[in-house]
Amino acid sequence: MLLKVDNVTKTFGGVHAVRNVSFSINKGETVGLIGPNGAGKTTLLNVIVGTYKADSGKIELDGNDITTKPPYKICHLGISRTYQLPQAFWDLTAIANVAVAGLCGKHRPDMSYGDAMLEASHCLELVGLFGKRNILARDLTLYELRTLGLARALATTPRLVLIDEAMAGLNPGEALRAVKLIRRLKEEYHLTIFWIEHIMKIIMEAADRVVVLNYGEKIAEGPPKEVINNPTVVEAYLGKKHA
Amino acid sequence: MVKLEHKKARLVLRLGDLKLEWAIERRYWRNPLIAVSCLLVLPLLISGRADLVSLLTMASIYACIAIPLTWQITGTSRMNFGPQLFVGVGGFTAGLLGIHAGLGPWQTLPIVILVSLACALLLSPLTIIAKGLYFSLITLLLPLIFLEITYYRSDIFRGETGISGIPHLFDLGSISLNYITGCYFSIALALLFLFIVDKVMRSRLGLYAAAINDNEDVANAVGLNTNRYKVVTFCITSEMIGIAGWLMAHYYGTFAGVTYLPLIFMIKILLMVMIGGRGQLYGAVVGAYFVAFLEYFLTGIGPVHYVVFPLILLILLFILPEGLYGLYRKHRYREYYPTIKVRRKEI
Amino acid sequence: MIGTMGMVGVYAFVLGSLYLLMSLGFSLICGVLRVFHLGYGLIFVMAVYVTWMFMENFGLGLIPAIASMCVVQCLFTLLVIYLPIVKRYIEKEELLLTSLLLVAIIIEEAANYVYPVTAGVDIPTTIVPGSIKIGAASIPNQMLIAAGIAILTTAMFIIFFLKSRSGLLMRAVSQDVRSAKLMGTSTERVYIYAMMLSIIPPTICILVMVPFWSIEPYLGWPLLHTAILVAILGGLGNLRGSIIAAYILGLIAATVSFLIDPSLVPLVSLLVVVLILIFRPQGISRSESLW
Repeated sequence: MLLKVDNVTKTFGGVHAVRNVSFSINKGETVGLIGPNGAGKTTLLNVIVGTYKADSGKIELDGNDITTKPPYKICHLGISRTYQLPQAFWDLTAIANVAVAGLCGKHRPDMSYGDAMLEASHCLELVGLFGKRNILARDLTLYELRTLGLARALATTPRLVLIDEAMAGLNPGEALRAVKLIRRLKEEYHLTIFWIEHIMKIIMEAADRVVVLNYGEKIAEGPPKEVINNPTVVEAYLGKKHA
Repeated sequence: MVKLEHKKARLVLRLGDLKLEWAIERRYWRNPLIAVSCLLVLPLLISGRADLVSLLTMASIYACIAIPLTWQITGTSRMNFGPQLFVGVGGFTAGLLGIHAGLGPWQTLPIVILVSLACALLLSPLTIIAKGLYFSLITLLLPLIFLEITYYRSDIFRGETGISGIPHLFDLGSISLNYITGCYFSIALALLFLFIVDKVMRSRLGLYAAAINDNEDVANAVGLNTNRYKVVTFCITSEMIGIAGWLMAHYYGTFAGVTYLPLIFMIKILLMVMIGGRGQLYGAVVGAYFVAFLEYFLTGIGPVHYVVFPLILLILLFILPEGLYGLYRKHRYREYYPTIKVRRKEI
Repeated sequence: MIGTMGMVGVYAFVLGSLYLLMSLGFSLICGVLRVFHLGYGLIFVMAVYVTWMFMENFGLGLIPAIASMCVVQCLFTLLVIYLPIVKRYIEKEELLLTSLLLVAIIIEEAANYVYPVTAGVDIPTTIVPGSIKIGAASIPNQMLIAAGIAILTTAMFIIFFLKSRSGLLMRAVSQDVRSAKLMGTSTERVYIYAMMLSIIPPTICILVMVPFWSIEPYLGWPLLHTAILVAILGGLGNLRGSIIAAYILGLIAATVSFLIDPSLVPLVSLLVVVLILIFRPQGISRSESLW
């Protein structure tokens, strides 16, 4: 078991964004996290990577408690993430963006600047951004920013990658390419993936297991085929009438 | 009809049918040796004019403050509106030790370093707690409070008149010789600071600074301990500014809070950074010399220069959005430009 | 002991009210435009020196001079502060703050050039001379009147914000500029309106304080100091927070100046503000709106 989330609760001023959620992720799995808008998916992700501190509950990585660790330490332990709204170092070139991640992602004081650049160009090549390595991040397109986010996550040599809506805003062709890319990276680097997604179809194909959140609470968990027929899930997505 | 054109790294002069061309190799301009040798020869050329030597020294000391400040603004991603606080800390430590304990400049230096470091460590949590505007406002207030204290404890700090009789940096017998050596020393210190900060900015630490300046959250998420880095940056740069204060105290032999702590001095430093090149390291150096010389030549027009000087700075701020350095390297967009940002997501 | 306590209490109230009046305009700009008006001090300087200019050089009486000064202030705020600086740099704060500081410096240096401290500026705005004894505390009448005017002005501002249409618009803009724009509010007009309104409290403040305040061209900075502290402590432009913050700072000022030393007031106030910031980074009020 790689990641174990145990009874995690996070409130914002009395509103439960995440309430008593527990689940676990095994090594090599792809786990999907779905739920309607405002279900607390991104909050849960932020709690895992340490951006928000959980109010109660426990998060373990490989048996180590990481609940109260700051984001950079959690990154060093091998969890990295991508963002729903692409985030980048906007005034840096693509390669510098990845090189920062390569230099800080693990504690590697002996790594030289040149090595980091070499590794960064390798990561960029993997995601197909090598040709744009000297373009400023602010000048990249949305698809390129999403792949840049993946390259940056990859450069920190993670074991678990949290993907936050990799498809939002992409056209169908780009979305397909992104899914293929993520699958290829998973195979090549033996990654474990925790994937928040809005588009059901993609998650049904990609995920081994799906966790469903609604109003901050876990309402279902299981293989995609089972979950999609679960009446509670259908109700959460479509309303009572369709259940 | 003489026509002078500047085309793709060549200068073309047309005089009727005659056409003269000079190729300008960019790297000649970029070669720092030229600027360095200019700075080294200049004091000898103007050695007859004590006021000009003094001005050059002043400008170099300004550069000593502007250079670390540039690093600080990038590395902490916060706009410090009170860099002169550490000039005051360094200067007063040196001055008080000089006149009361009878220590020479080289004996006060380590103590100044320790005291500045202690103050910087004390204030460094601000770079974590206070974000954006809060940080700017608190740093704006700190030196003014220090100024109040110098008035309050006039018995120690000599609020109105300042401390005088601080031992001079060099005592070589003749006054003009002292001035020239002091001038060379300040230039050497400015060059040393420039060398250090330039090396840092080109290393991985510079990349971290750029990342923090750009997006602190992402920097933290990809595994950079932003808090530690910001504290370290703040301490080192404040330290360097403190050393500039030490130099001021020992060069002039007097140190007054009224001269260095008020807002007008801060505005001068800030504008060196902004007019020079909006956070560009070399821009700050150019800006420091530019502002110092501008102020000196304006004093010629009488007391009205107190009004004209800020007015000219304001106009320059308006017409040079990228700073003086931005004029020179407009087309090279690939390299990282630090952007000074006050407001982050907060507020 | 009780005498001292009473003295501290009275002065805390009076100083708190004055601080409130000083910082009201600053908080207003901070709340509506979401920027810091670092040139706020120049409103005080202009209020004193332009009035004096009209009285001394143009031979006007006190009331006409004050009226002309108000016109000059409004024009100056619109033509020098708002249009060329605030409107242009509202997104680029480093330029905004520096230019506003520079303008303030230019104005005060100009005031100093034309009327140096030795020129003896004197504006007779004393309403009731003499002083009154409250318990053990002796306090100048003018100070009490200033405190009263401060409370009155604040009350009028609050009523304006709560009851009038323009007040509602301002509160809307302060809460969320984007939504306000979507609803068809002309933010620019609201901004100008707020800038104009923000002139009123400092002008009133310095005019009633002239008799017991030391008048010199650099008087703006300590006042800006107080305004910044009140704004930070109160939660960046929230009026409710500002009122509480002003009285907290008044209490600190009174306590420190009676029990320790008046010169330590700025230092202690700053320390307290920084300490409070550590525990409540958003200031006293958690909401980010005007009221």
